[in-house]
Amino acid sequence: MGSDPKRIAALIGNPNTGKTTLFNALSGLRQRVGNYPGVTVETKKGQMCCGGQTFELIDLPGTYSLSPRSPDEMVAVDVILGRQQGEARPDVVISIVDASNLERNLYLTTQVLELGVPVVVALNMIDVATAQGIRIDTERLSRQLGVPVVAIQANKKKGLEALREAICRAASGAALASQESARGTNAAPLATHRPPFPEVFECAIHQLHRELGEDIPEYLLRRLVLDVGGWTEQRLVAQFGEGIRQKAQEVRQRLAQAGCPVPAVEARARYGWIREVTAGCIQRPAQRAVTWTDRIDRVLTHKVWGTLIFLTLMFLVFQAIFTWARPIMKVISDGKDALAELLRGQLPPGPFTALLLDGVLEGVGAVVVFLPQILILFAFLAVLEDCGYMARAAFLMDKLMARCGLSGKSFIPLLSSMACAVPGILATRVIENRRDRLATILVAPLMSCSARLPVYILLIGTFLTGPGFARWLPGLVMFAMYAIGLVLAPLMALVLKRTLLRGQTPVFVLEMPLYKVPSPRLVLRRMLDSGWAFLRRAGTLILASMVVVWALLYFPRGGGPEQPPYDVRIAAMQKELDDLKDQGRAGGVNSPVNEQGRAEGVNSPVNEQGRAGGVNPPVEPGEQGVSPPRLFYQLLEGKEQQINECIAEWKRQSYLGRMGKAIEPAVRPLGWDWKIGMAALASFPAREVVIGTLGIIYSTGKQDSDEIRNAANVADTLLARRMKEARWDDDPTRPVFTIPTALSLMVFFALCCQCASTLAVIWRETHSWRWPAFTFTYMTVLAYLGALVVYQIGRLLGG
Amino acid sequence: MNLDTLLPLELLRPGEWADVAEVTGEATWVSRLAELGLRSGSRLRLLQAGWPCLLQIGGCRLSLRNEQGTQILVRPVAY
Repeated sequence: MGSDPKRIAALIGNPNTGKTTLFNALSGLRQRVGNYPGVTVETKKGQMCCGGQTFELIDLPGTYSLSPRSPDEMVAVDVILGRQQGEARPDVVISIVDASNLERNLYLTTQVLELGVPVVVALNMIDVATAQGIRIDTERLSRQLGVPVVAIQANKKKGLEALREAICRAASGAALASQESARGTNAAPLATHRPPFPEVFECAIHQLHRELGEDIPEYLLRRLVLDVGGWTEQRLVAQFGEGIRQKAQEVRQRLAQAGCPVPAVEARARYGWIREVTAGCIQRPAQRAVTWTDRIDRVLTHKVWGTLIFLTLMFLVFQAIFTWARPIMKVISDGKDALAELLRGQLPPGPFTALLLDGVLEGVGAVVVFLPQILILFAFLAVLEDCGYMARAAFLMDKLMARCGLSGKSFIPLLSSMACAVPGILATRVIENRRDRLATILVAPLMSCSARLPVYILLIGTFLTGPGFARWLPGLVMFAMYAIGLVLAPLMALVLKRTLLRGQTPVFVLEMPLYKVPSPRLVLRRMLDSGWAFLRRAGTLILASMVVVWALLYFPRGGGPEQPPYDVRIAAMQKELDDLKDQGRAGGVNSPVNEQGRAEGVNSPVNEQGRAGGVNPPVEPGEQGVSPPRLFYQLLEGKEQQINECIAEWKRQSYLGRMGKAIEPAVRPLGWDWKIGMAALASFPAREVVIGTLGIIYSTGKQDSDEIRNAANVADTLLARRMKEARWDDDPTRPVFTIPTALSLMVFFALCCQCASTLAVIWRETHSWRWPAFTFTYMTVLAYLGALVVYQIGRLLGG
Repeated sequence: MNLDTLLPLELLRPGEWADVAEVTGEATWVSRLAELGLRSGSRLRLLQAGWPCLLQIGGCRLSLRNEQGTQILVRPVAY
């Protein structure tokens, strides 16, 4: 049989039935995640071997029914009917059901039975059912249902051999099956019976089938009539015109006249049949036993205790994202810097090297640096999801979220966005309502993410700390910055839900699964999947935008008949500086500028020691007068200053610098000069760039966000001092940075969507460029207005 | 208590059992609730009142927030 074309098996089931666990157990390690065009749900594919045959196993998205209401829900129907493009029709469908909740789970199975594909029922969690005192007669169920039923325990890998065998036999086709049913030994894999619908319904379906042509599967016609306004209706109307909607309406009327109105008729027919086929197969205890889940739920869904536990848990998750990710992020950025250093020594200076190091390498670094936060957050989310807690969290937060037109499912994504909007937006996938999901995605970037922190720290530390300011002021301002996001995001969601995303408020209904111990393998897998998805999807766009900003800052290179381009001049000065240091070393003076602190040309990091040495030469205690080393330091310092000023001049005349000058009239009402405007412009791809750009403009060499974050006293850093000294070009007596200006800049950063990664992820998740464009526009407008109001009010109050 | 009276679900007290008599409202949501086991004839127990409420139906627990438009009428039973 080895020469047979590859057989296909599809796996379908309700959420929380252990479907993913079974998929992993059957397919092993080789899996691929894929998207069909136009939908947001993912389908996984793996390979399964049984009886010397290789099956392609498709894991369909978890669903309670095959009554598609959106393109996402249509995927499962299309795959099983063989109508999904580029996908052959499955030879067999495995319907996994939860043994402890059999009747409800069989609802989906009855729909699968109508699709005309051989079906095998995998009766999972048989141990949980047994523990609850439920006994199921599998053989009898199989006979009455008309398809093979195999009891399994997917998490313990029990019963999988029997399941594989049943799958193999079911897929082997009708010939074998009919032989067996003739002998009466086994159930036929192709359903011979299914829930009876009223005669008038069946007649109408036959008639429609004849009218519309045989190539429309009968199942879709049934859905057309049963799902009022469903996706099948929309699709068939698009194909055949409005007439078909009327026909469906007529059939519904006939059904109502016959006493079985849509949609009640479907539930009645299916559950009625389920009651018949399960009769005599299931034994239940008279009194339902109190389970562990019941006991745990008494605490975890309690209004007071449950909420307290939830908030504590969230705080811990946050803390972990902040503290665990920080050292890894530092290793990544240090590694990137070290690599840049290494390559800079090897490559000749010029535009190509600059592009490679300052554009591409910086860009890759900016992408990879997000990975630790994403992996940690997703590990936590996967654990909480897999153990069953997530549904309880959504339940607890629903009341709060309902006030802003969202549901409890939006809470975790919004909260995650306070660490980083990128994983937050990825986490919205649990929200099944499209409008809710979109509203959550659109407001998530308003939450103050960790990349805004360095900006807040720098400005608060420089302008709102020290003598003359209350001790509690910095903390209060910092809190206010976070509060802006916390207040505005729900408000914006409410506005969106009332305007652009208007529609009926959906009923919020959520199943609370049984608690269980999370599977480490599943958690690890989800963590790696999300990390990879981020790299693949957002990575390319972030990289591209970083390269664009680099180019805008690099060109034009200046120079003319009498002067070489800036980068050449800087490289030459750098060489002089290096020679000077070498002389110093040879002369026995211990250079305070550390070996690695060579400021090579553009964006290169002058390291901390280098800068500290340059500004505040270490003076031995008790040392008087000007000692030779001190003179030497001053020489070095002067050279370094010269380089930094040359870089600043270059950047000022770069395209981005010119843009900064051009927009000065627009940013003036915010209290900004063109330098701040330019720094804000440069930070549109990634807001953390602003510190570095300010550093370049204020001629301090490249400033590192980490340094600001870790500085014991921010106001002592060179950048802070330079910013305090800054004066308006047209009025040299007036300082640029006043308290209102600092506040307006902070508010701008709190509200603006300066993050290419976020926009890239929104684009990937919504499959449209319109939503990222919308997010960018509304947030920029909001940021501008917010900054304007803050500055003007601050000025009036006499700032 | 008169066990024949029909009540809207929100009037049920925590811990009480009831049979669902009727679910009315928009077709999409009526069928969605039916898929989850909440349909006329199913027996439920209210675990926590308020919106969203917590229900026990058969072997599963549901959290439900009902917006205007969908109404669930139940008949309390003693169990």
